[in-house]
Amino acid sequence: MTASAVARARARRIALWLVAGLLLAVWAFPVLWGLLTSFKTERDVLAYPPVWLFEPTLNNYREVLFGSASIVPNLWSSLVVSTLTTALTMLFAVPAAYALARLNYPGKRGSGFYVLATQMLPPVGLIIPFYLVLQKVGLLDSYSGLTTIYLTFSLPFAIWLLVSYFEDIPYEMEEAALLDRAGRLRTLWYVILPQVRGGIAVTTIFVFLNAWNEFLFAVVLGGNNVRPVTVAMFNFISVEQTQWARLAAGAMLAMAPVIVIGLVAQRHIVKGLTVGAVKGGGRR
Amino acid sequence: MNPPGNVRLEGVVKQHGAFTALHGIDLEIQPGEFFALLGPSGSGKTTTLRILAGLEPVNGGRVLLDGVDVTDAQPGERDVAMVFQSYALYPHMTVAENIAFPLKMVRTPAAEIERAVNEAAAKVDIAHLLARRPGQLSGGQQQRCALARAIVRKPRLFLLDEPLSNLDAKLRVETRAELRRLQRSLGVTAVYVTHDQEEAMTMADRMAVFMEGRIIQVGTPKSIYLQPANVAVAAFIGTPPMNLLPAQLRDGTAVVAGASVPLRHEGAEARDVILGVRPGDLCIGQTGIPAIVEFVEDLGDSVIVNLQVGEQRLKARRDPQGPPLAEGQPVGLSFAPAAAHVFDRETGLRL
Repeated sequence: MTASAVARARARRIALWLVAGLLLAVWAFPVLWGLLTSFKTERDVLAYPPVWLFEPTLNNYREVLFGSASIVPNLWSSLVVSTLTTALTMLFAVPAAYALARLNYPGKRGSGFYVLATQMLPPVGLIIPFYLVLQKVGLLDSYSGLTTIYLTFSLPFAIWLLVSYFEDIPYEMEEAALLDRAGRLRTLWYVILPQVRGGIAVTTIFVFLNAWNEFLFAVVLGGNNVRPVTVAMFNFISVEQTQWARLAAGAMLAMAPVIVIGLVAQRHIVKGLTVGAVKGGGRR
Repeated sequence: MNPPGNVRLEGVVKQHGAFTALHGIDLEIQPGEFFALLGPSGSGKTTTLRILAGLEPVNGGRVLLDGVDVTDAQPGERDVAMVFQSYALYPHMTVAENIAFPLKMVRTPAAEIERAVNEAAAKVDIAHLLARRPGQLSGGQQQRCALARAIVRKPRLFLLDEPLSNLDAKLRVETRAELRRLQRSLGVTAVYVTHDQEEAMTMADRMAVFMEGRIIQVGTPKSIYLQPANVAVAAFIGTPPMNLLPAQLRDGTAVVAGASVPLRHEGAEARDVILGVRPGDLCIGQTGIPAIVEFVEDLGDSVIVNLQVGEQRLKARRDPQGPPLAEGQPVGLSFAPAAAHVFDRETGLRL
């Protein structure tokens, strides 16, 4: 390699790092700013120009965990709704995705399109009908009500994600199992599901995160009984004042499980996002 | 112990939408036979195999196994095993688990499974690979694993869908003989799909030649080779394939390219025919049908001479020890009257 080529390669690498660094900064800034804010006093938060050096305090965390405005019950609400949603979604989505990928039944195309179409509706347009329905059946501000509503978007999402995993498995695999006297259900259990394990893991994580992060439906359809943490944080903003430091502390706590899951399942998630991009790339 | 394994297809029709894949297939396969379904791709041979397996429903006709109508029986209810072209091994299971799977599904006791798995693996020489996964095996080993999974439960019918097509040429020839030996030792009925006529010729007790959704001919490889039922079968069986020449039949002789060659079809009325002669039956000399030597392929044990008769191209197989032939050399072609195959030019049927 000539000296100029080496120089060019180095320049390119530096440029790449710069761009990557810039993107990372843009993405990370709010998170880091929030993290800093969560350790500030309310006075430091409002200081202008912003103070970079301040005496960190754990008061905000103490307050949002154990104080009068504790968000622990809300974290619990979020956990219950998200877990219920995830469990029910997977329970229905796995067999539904298998059916869409494999079985021939009347109206298959139609039902496939219907599942996709439900994903196209803007959620904001559904809030009022959902509110009226839940009110009529008396499920406003209840776990079963909110979970049911969450299923309306998490199910189609999960089904569509899973279908691509099922479609990746060769037909012959299933036919071999049928000839081996496994029958439909045992074929699914012993031969198909183990091979889509990765896809099921990814889908489970995505569904959980979507439910955990949901705000719009929760704020309208929840209430004093069921108030997920996303809504509870909103309560730090009121007409008289906005408690930025507590809001930031709450946000950090609400983000913690998401970040932990993200780190643990990082490899799976990246694979899940690129499924279908490369032939067979999503499987195993 | 194996049940007999008699197979009968009666007027089996299969349609894919408007396309008819099988136009009423009738076939009987005897217990213990190694039976090949031979034909070009799209001729319906794999469809027939899949119908036997129960993987495809039929649109008409009946399928009988040992006299019992199984037309509507599920694949698992038929007691048949299949080796797929892609092997269809379960990638998340070890070789041992793959082989054990059919036994596990019928709740065989663990000790019995272990014994059967070891026995099946030993039969196909993969006893040392039991702990591996399919992804860690070579193509040949995967194929053996698929075979072991098929033989482990001692089915009455063994279905093989081009099992050798993914192997390299040398391994394919070796495996042919092994497969044949294995089938003999098990005494199980085997139905073998292939588009490779050499494979069918060398392995099968009997075979059925498929063309465009119909069975054209059923018989031993020898009988089909010697007496092809029509032009299409004649052209399909044999390497190099049979030479086919337009000719006129007249008073027990055929007129080809102006030359008259004697036939055994005495008394047959004058008509247009297609004359078929196997490359090995053509003699190159001075007299007979006039031809020009195009080029010569030396295969070592034999020589393929490419010839031109008018617009037609022919191949002749001859002894490498014979007198050398130069390109462009004019020669005469002859053959024994008994070696000639005569087909009607209109219908393509053997006369």
